[in-house]
Amino acid sequence: MKRLTMGNEAVALGALKAGMTFFAAYPITPASEIMHILAEKEGEIEFVHAEDEIASIHLVIGASLAGSKALTSTSGPGMSLKQEGIGLAHMMEAPLVVVNVMRVGPSTGMPTLPAQGDILQAKHGSHGDYSPLVFYPCSVAECYRYTMEAFNAAEESRSPVILLLDGFLAHLSETVDLSKIKVEPKLRTFKPLGHGNRHFTGLLEKGGIPRTKDTAYYREWYQRITDKMQKTANNYRFFEYLENKTADTLLIAFGITARVIRPLKHRYSLFCPIRLFPVLEEELKAAAAEHERIVVVEMSDGQYQGEVERVLKRDVLSVPILGGGISLKEIEEKLHAL
Amino acid sequence: MRYKNYIKWSRMPTTWCPGCAIGIVFKQLTFTLEDIQMPKSEMSVVSGIGCSGRAAGYFDLDSVHSTHGRALPIAEGIKRANYKLNVIVFSGDGDLVGIGGNHLLHVARRDVNLTVICINNETYGMTGGQMAPTTKKGTKTLTSTHGSAYFPMNIQQIVTSTPKHFYARSSAFRISHLQKCIKEAIAWEGFAFVDVISYCIENFGRRMGFKSPFEMLDKIKQDYRINYKPEGLLGDFELGILKNDDQKS
Repeated sequence: MKRLTMGNEAVALGALKAGMTFFAAYPITPASEIMHILAEKEGEIEFVHAEDEIASIHLVIGASLAGSKALTSTSGPGMSLKQEGIGLAHMMEAPLVVVNVMRVGPSTGMPTLPAQGDILQAKHGSHGDYSPLVFYPCSVAECYRYTMEAFNAAEESRSPVILLLDGFLAHLSETVDLSKIKVEPKLRTFKPLGHGNRHFTGLLEKGGIPRTKDTAYYREWYQRITDKMQKTANNYRFFEYLENKTADTLLIAFGITARVIRPLKHRYSLFCPIRLFPVLEEELKAAAAEHERIVVVEMSDGQYQGEVERVLKRDVLSVPILGGGISLKEIEEKLHAL
Repeated sequence: MRYKNYIKWSRMPTTWCPGCAIGIVFKQLTFTLEDIQMPKSEMSVVSGIGCSGRAAGYFDLDSVHSTHGRALPIAEGIKRANYKLNVIVFSGDGDLVGIGGNHLLHVARRDVNLTVICINNETYGMTGGQMAPTTKKGTKTLTSTHGSAYFPMNIQQIVTSTPKHFYARSSAFRISHLQKCIKEAIAWEGFAFVDVISYCIENFGRRMGFKSPFEMLDKIKQDYRINYKPEGLLGDFELGILKNDDQKS
């Protein structure tokens, strides 16, 4: 049935559909609606309004190890607090999903105008090397679908998967028929706590024994983790490419920005990555090969442009839309001025 | 099952210094588990960071060694996801009361059915002996070189501030009392906190003039007395159990 649905609502419904049974979070605009909707499901799912963001991510890690599919949601300031737990979940290989509805920062910034400034934080937020899976939908229907895909990717990779939204998309209401979107949920690949003598730790360990002075083993372990993430990522090649044969310029945009620039498809080719990390290297290279100029339009000061430049190894232009306001007119003017 | 079966012998020797109190408390916990015949598949141990935090890895069962201060929220997540598991948190005072202090307030308020065993040695041992929130006023440490200017955190009053509560204070010396406290804490339906008066010889006691772990243990023996029927709160040097099943007020 078609129904007017908000982005945040679609995330909550997608999580329930994916089999999520544990949710913990701390209220923060513009992510709170996810919490409100799931609070009504208390009883069917375990719901915790935690004391802070740090507690909520660790609650979710505990629940994940105990066998639940678990979710937490937040916005920029909360995401900064969650980084400790995200690193721990990578180290413990605990599958879970973290939703970050981006708003203007740093710090409290401009509550709660939308932004896309947490792109590199999603990749590098916690200390140390790791390569997370990051998805960023660009419509309400996609919020629903990619929440389910995020849960699947989490199970497959045994890692915390980050689902990015922006304040616009989270509060965008669209008429959609969610019942037509079907994603087969993936099952847990390891036994929950209480089924052996395993030791889950934030330390580098092998067979439950810390190997904190073993450089060779760290390198072996890191290679395994990186390969695992890339292997999983290969099954989640999500993007949208609107090729315009007459265009000499390729515009790259994601989230609400991709929606705003859609009317420009008659003049430019448009590439909308949904899996932001690991970067869709092959797809981007193939699309870029056909074009003279590559421009990334984003609501940050060139965070993803740098990533694209690194992958393509050629000059990539940036159109930053800062401070929470976005309009097609402004983007067109900036594109002309390039 | 014998107490030995709860220990992961492949991990021995432990990281703890010879004569450390954590070993005493760890062993008393395994004795208690033998006593109540707790099946290994029905329990999990969660630790934070620090010397005490290493305890989780020494149990021959599914255990979690989390980040600094986060043992309580992880344990709550486990418990809420699987109510059948007996979740025991084994960690230190710096971890549970210092960096994890906020979680202690709220997990106690939410009355999550956990058993918390807190090694209270009044210092941060693993990092070299800094001032903990439990360090007594006037004590010199690496980060209170002129003597701590602050009164120690009153864990008893924090844990007993909710109408329904379980708080026990025992010591590494009174081992039969400690076993009794742990046994009651595991049986308690709700949040149960066992504050175990312990010591750290290498990074704390030696600086204060103690020559051996025995001297510190003997000091605890001399200082603390068991109060079997406490009325109101426990005195500063009293060991005992405070529990209240009042759900209404």
